[in-house]
Amino acid sequence: MIERLSHGPASVHGLTEPFALSQQMISKHIAYLVRARIVIKTKRGRESVCTLRPEAIKKVRDWAFSYRRFWEESFDKLDAVVNQMKKDQIKKEEARDDKKHSERNRADGRYKNF
Amino acid sequence: MTKNTVNEIERMVVTRIFDAPRELVWKAWTDPKYVMQWWGPKGFTSPVCKMDFRVGGKYLICTRTPDGQEFWHGGEYHEIVPHEKIISSMYFSDSEGNKVEPAQLGIEHEAIEGANDVILFEDLGNGQTKLTFIGNEPMESATNSGQLEGMNQVLDKVAEVVTKLAQAK
Repeated sequence: MIERLSHGPASVHGLTEPFALSQQMISKHIAYLVRARIVIKTKRGRESVCTLRPEAIKKVRDWAFSYRRFWEESFDKLDAVVNQMKKDQIKKEEARDDKKHSERNRADGRYKNF
Repeated sequence: MTKNTVNEIERMVVTRIFDAPRELVWKAWTDPKYVMQWWGPKGFTSPVCKMDFRVGGKYLICTRTPDGQEFWHGGEYHEIVPHEKIISSMYFSDSEGNKVEPAQLGIEHEAIEGANDVILFEDLGNGQTKLTFIGNEPMESATNSGQLEGMNQVLDKVAEVVTKLAQAK
């Protein structure tokens, strides 16, 4: 709907047409956009005309990532975090093994000296 | 009503296979120290993350956009099955964790009332873990335009148009 409005003002009727939704659902959606101060609704004769609020465009752009993109891109980052955790864990295990190893060597050394 | 009308129970599902054992993925998801490192899309950061990770416990997380705007999300854990499943709610909030209507923030966001996010952790047995995120937001915008995968493209187009508008000024 925002995409449609980005081409210019449109009547509520004109906005309903491309969607397989009742005018009531569309009106509800428009009400959301009006309340979110993204869209301005004005009366022109018997028709209500919707216009995209210019100052809202920036906000829309800031939020021009979808819910899905939010999670997809979070998962990309999560992948990097998990890989780093895996590396750290391996390093820790190696350090522990080294420590054990050197302790054993020391113990062996003591044993030999004894 | 035609069969093309919006399906209110259409939920967004995102899955990902991680090349790491399940315990590690679980830890990355449930420890705020790690959550802060991955929360949010590319270029976004999370300066604050508080988690009271237990059933009935709440979380509060701050999302900072690349241009420095901060948004807060709060939520509650409803079900926790260690290493397997988390059911939690998520809502927009203020920095104290009080619920805020998205419209007040100028955000268009229609969550299914009373629905929760479901996160599933599946051990694939070869050192890999499958993570499934079932969101509480319907695929509303996508189903409106009749293409389930269409939301991103629509938004990309919006961004394109916006850029053109900005240049025209």
